[in-house]
Amino acid sequence: MSIDRRSVIKTAALGALAFTVGGKSLLLTPRQARADGIPLSVLSDQEAAILSAFGEALAPGAAEAGIAHYVDAQLAANPDDALFMIRYLDVPPAGWRGFYKGGLAALEALSQEKFGKNVAALDGEEAVSLVRAIAASQPDGWQGPPAPFVYFVIRGDATDLVYGTMEGFEALGVPYMAHIPPETRW
Amino acid sequence: MDRLRSDKVDAVIVGAGAAGSYFAAKLAEAGKSVVVLEAGPAWKLGDLTSSMIHGRRLKGHAGAVELAGSNPWGYSFNAGRGFGGAALHHYAVWPRLAAEDFNVKSAHGRGLDWPIDYDELRPWYDRIQREVGLAGDAKAEVWRGPGEPYPMPPHPTLAGGEVLKRGFDKLGIRTAPVPMAINSREYNGRPACIYDGWCEAGCPTGALANPLTLHIPAAKAAGAEFKAGARVTRILSDAKDSVSGVEYMDEAGERHQQLADIVILAAAPVENPRLLLVSANDDHPDGIGNAGGQVGRYFMSHPLAIMHGMFADETAPYAGITGGQLTSRDGYTKDGREEGAFGSYQWVLATAIKPNDLSGIATSRPDLFGAELDVFMRRAVDHYAQMVGFVEELPDADNRVTLGEGKAVDGLPVARLTHSVAPETQALWGQVQAEGLKIYEAAGSEAAWGQQMVFAHAMGGTIMGGSAEDSVTDSHGRVHGMQNLLVAGSGLFPTGGAVNPTYTIYALAARTVDNMLAHWSDYTG
Repeated sequence: MSIDRRSVIKTAALGALAFTVGGKSLLLTPRQARADGIPLSVLSDQEAAILSAFGEALAPGAAEAGIAHYVDAQLAANPDDALFMIRYLDVPPAGWRGFYKGGLAALEALSQEKFGKNVAALDGEEAVSLVRAIAASQPDGWQGPPAPFVYFVIRGDATDLVYGTMEGFEALGVPYMAHIPPETRW
Repeated sequence: MDRLRSDKVDAVIVGAGAAGSYFAAKLAEAGKSVVVLEAGPAWKLGDLTSSMIHGRRLKGHAGAVELAGSNPWGYSFNAGRGFGGAALHHYAVWPRLAAEDFNVKSAHGRGLDWPIDYDELRPWYDRIQREVGLAGDAKAEVWRGPGEPYPMPPHPTLAGGEVLKRGFDKLGIRTAPVPMAINSREYNGRPACIYDGWCEAGCPTGALANPLTLHIPAAKAAGAEFKAGARVTRILSDAKDSVSGVEYMDEAGERHQQLADIVILAAAPVENPRLLLVSANDDHPDGIGNAGGQVGRYFMSHPLAIMHGMFADETAPYAGITGGQLTSRDGYTKDGREEGAFGSYQWVLATAIKPNDLSGIATSRPDLFGAELDVFMRRAVDHYAQMVGFVEELPDADNRVTLGEGKAVDGLPVARLTHSVAPETQALWGQVQAEGLKIYEAAGSEAAWGQQMVFAHAMGGTIMGGSAEDSVTDSHGRVHGMQNLLVAGSGLFPTGGAVNPTYTIYALAARTVDNMLAHWSDYTG
């Protein structure tokens, strides 16, 4: 009926995500997938670059933690199995890809308008300025999902990866205290 | 279309959550043949990974419900999926409804009355707490109605609870340990809690009373059959006053019929009325049980006033119990409030909070990002404390479940949930939030803040009452005018009080099971 409280259950799917490479499914953490240059399924390379840079501005460490590969894997998954936060913000699954693609495109357009640069090329101060431009209101001419919601959702992904993993807990000095740990540390 | 027909059973139950699994266990133990059909996965305790990210798999079906109204309800965060339902990720906070929650209309001229009162339900509250095991301090919990003492001592108050209690004490507001369906010591072969705060991700240890720990194993041991990936599409009825079973779709899309003497809908307050409505036929043109237009009406929930604060003290917010450490119901008196506010409220102090997730520390300051967020996080993980105010929402006929425009995987309409917060509830919520800030100040917080209104605990939609003109079921959950169709769960509640609903779900289920077993031929003809 109950399991040993300290036991670790080896289940291949826990912790890692499935990335399809050459027709085969590999189980990797987003960090590993990014480091290994695993091809993306849903996001374009440009969209991934925008997401990485914007995620990094929201929560330092998000880019290296693999936010682009994480979101890409969630968008490719069966909606019932998706793990990212938009899953329970009551956005219909049919709208998830459009939300991210539309939001990232709008960010890129705003970055070009404000700085004449891609999001991925912004320096630290410029990135902060970009975030502030959408965090609480819709910039003039914004063409995409509601800007503050784009901020909130991508911030959720970034904070999940930076603060919500076993590595994130350790970096904060928070004991993880798992009954059943995610199999692989993200 | 090929419809595979299974052998007829005594009872088919739709949904393997708290109520469904309880009915399955008790009916099977009484020798009845039982099939439970659950649309979601066959979760096992070993699936309950300690992670706020992976824990999201336990939550609502993506895209299941259209949301409308002035305050669209947060369905996906609250709903359940698979064996255990929402109870698999619930926090096991188990207060009883108060006596005054049962007669709001008679006492105050608004809201609704239950067809039973607290005294009538009390024996089953007492039985369930013995069977399941509740930890608490009935003497300190001065607001609780008459009943047996809790079988287990209360959980300890940890650092966060002590800090927040300072504020309550200073303002003369009473607190008591939260009554928890979580073991504070070994009980009935289940271990005690170890206070790691992973309740929301699902507790695999057996300490927290969830259906995977309690009634699903008991039901299976007694011979009940559970089918996962079995989405019930409609209730089968070929008579005006009875049903013959249900149709369901398996994961391959193949349709089956499960015939039964009794059908029990235990699929939670949105899906139960949706099934009644989509099962319309010539005998029931507006949906089964809907001759009076009441199916789906009076959806309720608890608006939450979530309070956040930082303290010089170390609070270890990541540890403890997600459901909290202490409670106060000094604010339960419904009337006599200012600015037109009406209703009860409850505080729960020191909810265990992890760094991430919608309910996490990082989301408590959604305005912060980058370096500022990191500075906040590094301090907050040791100095942050949260408490939650649960506010009563009165039943409103226009807060309701209807059929939406979209189509579910079975081709039938999805549910549409319309929800708006009434002015008296909005006013009460504002007052609760204001009190929360005073409590934090009195506790000596360095900073304190509230947030926008969010919601928890789906209730109503298939309320119990006197007739089809004003309700959907009788006090046992039997659908008016139908001999053998029952509804179970919090959808039966005509009012919701300001307390978490799961304990009352079980008490009502226990009362109904007793009635069914004592009068089985009344249900089966």
